[in-house]
Amino acid sequence: MAEPLLAAQGVSVRFGGLVAVDAVEFELGQGELVGVIGPNGAGKTTFFHVLSGVLAPTEGRLRIGGEDLTGRPAHVFALHGVARTFQTPRVFRDMTAEQNVRFGLEFAGRRRSHAHDAFDDARSILGFVGLGDAAALLAGALTPSRQRLLEIGMALGARPQILLLDEVAAGLTESEVEATAQLIRRVRDELGLGVIWIEHAVRALMNCVERVAVLHQGRKIADGLPQAVAQDPAVVEAYLGDSVA
Amino acid sequence: MSLARILALVCGAGALLATLPWIASDFGLSLVLTCVMYAGLAVTWAMFSGATGYLSLATAAFFGIGAYVTAWGFGTLPYAIVVPLGGLAAAAFAVLVGAAILHLRGAYFAVLTFGLGELVRHAITYFEKSYAHTVGRVLTDVPESWIVYLTVLTIAMAAIAVSAAVRASRFGLALAGIGADEERAQTLGVNTRRAKIAGFALAAFFAGALGAAMAVRWTYIEPNSVFNPFIGFQTVLIAMVGGAHTLIGPLLSSVVFSMLTEFLRLQFPYAFLIVLGLLLIGLVLYLPGGLASIWPLVRARLAALRARSASLERGGAGG
Repeated sequence: MAEPLLAAQGVSVRFGGLVAVDAVEFELGQGELVGVIGPNGAGKTTFFHVLSGVLAPTEGRLRIGGEDLTGRPAHVFALHGVARTFQTPRVFRDMTAEQNVRFGLEFAGRRRSHAHDAFDDARSILGFVGLGDAAALLAGALTPSRQRLLEIGMALGARPQILLLDEVAAGLTESEVEATAQLIRRVRDELGLGVIWIEHAVRALMNCVERVAVLHQGRKIADGLPQAVAQDPAVVEAYLGDSVA
Repeated sequence: MSLARILALVCGAGALLATLPWIASDFGLSLVLTCVMYAGLAVTWAMFSGATGYLSLATAAFFGIGAYVTAWGFGTLPYAIVVPLGGLAAAAFAVLVGAAILHLRGAYFAVLTFGLGELVRHAITYFEKSYAHTVGRVLTDVPESWIVYLTVLTIAMAAIAVSAAVRASRFGLALAGIGADEERAQTLGVNTRRAKIAGFALAAFFAGALGAAMAVRWTYIEPNSVFNPFIGFQTVLIAMVGGAHTLIGPLLSSVVFSMLTEFLRLQFPYAFLIVLGLLLIGLVLYLPGGLASIWPLVRARLAALRARSASLERGGAGG
């Protein structure tokens, strides 16, 4: 098998006595769309911090595109094609939407080649995520749901190979969630990126991804096809009997 | 305003100011010298601290290091060499220290940079006492005041030009990104550590060069006078009062501030610090964006007034 885009090998994160992520094995292949779900406090966001270099793992190795980047700072991950969004949108509020997207293009994106027209410039990326009309608006003045789209645009500006999405559908209306799920599919289908999508609310995610991993108390308790995972007794128990799909 | 126009303006203003030694009185010249020095300090302080939000009180340390390079080197080396050396020494110090403390933020960073000035001051005092067996140094054969003035003017104009160029560059964008959200900037590919150290060192270079250039005016140099925390505070105040996010703000405010200080000192020799303090409090309370935010405010008011009178006229014509 070819080298995976991203491989986490026995990754653990401990904060003092608390084990936030516990010996997780995880791989992402080229152009794969994978969901990561889990109850609150399962360690999803901490796991993302590790995958994007924001946080160094206490134990384990991280390989991006075959290269060991364990312990390297976040900008090195970005230069190796890892881009992410944050749970609460972190846009540059005092810059325009276009400047926000151009930021990624000026740094990580500048040193990375691009295969698709949508990556050409800030305007085309804004068009791709559906913010073509907002280019000149200040990011801070956009509605929270449009700020989430802008964050995806900023990440695309870094011309990544791997896109990490942290609860991009949280707080959206049902139709907005549907539109976001569609955008995520297009990121994979049209741009060919590998995508990992974390979500607390799982319904939309389960319908969209082709593989899903479940974190519970820092451990990966399931990893497989959405239908199979939804029926996994350990998963059902973790969600306290809530219907998963 | 485009970078080319700013640079042209800087050159023009510099050429005009360069004629002062031949037309102004000694008092006028020394007043303008203070203005120009603080302009250079405040603009480069704003270039780093205004953009990144890392509130540095290290200006006094960098300034003092520059002054001490002059104290040690002047006499053996010409003035024109000592001044850039002072800048380089301060920048080298900033790189060393920056690598150690630039991961701290907020009050911790501010307090530590303040401590730096004290640290260097005591280190030099100790060194001078133990090894050179002296407490201060006397400079003889100092350059004439017009040479000092033109040197400080050149450094300040270079500082303004460099600040303008940085603002227009990717480096400046990286610094602004760090100020807006450091972690976000890093995940988009900015080597934040390197950018911060470079910005800190660049600001230190100008503060050090200005310290080295100004040192010859004192003739007697001792640690307590050149590592003067007042210089650091004054720089921060000027930049903040002017508007640390802008280029024009600190410039404007260094002139206003120096003039005002001088005027108040002459008019109210006993109460001038009280008046100055009250003015500062008023400014911070009612104009948090600094002097630079006055013009946009005025323009917005004027536009609103014009719109209202236009609609009144229309209303009048209709009725």
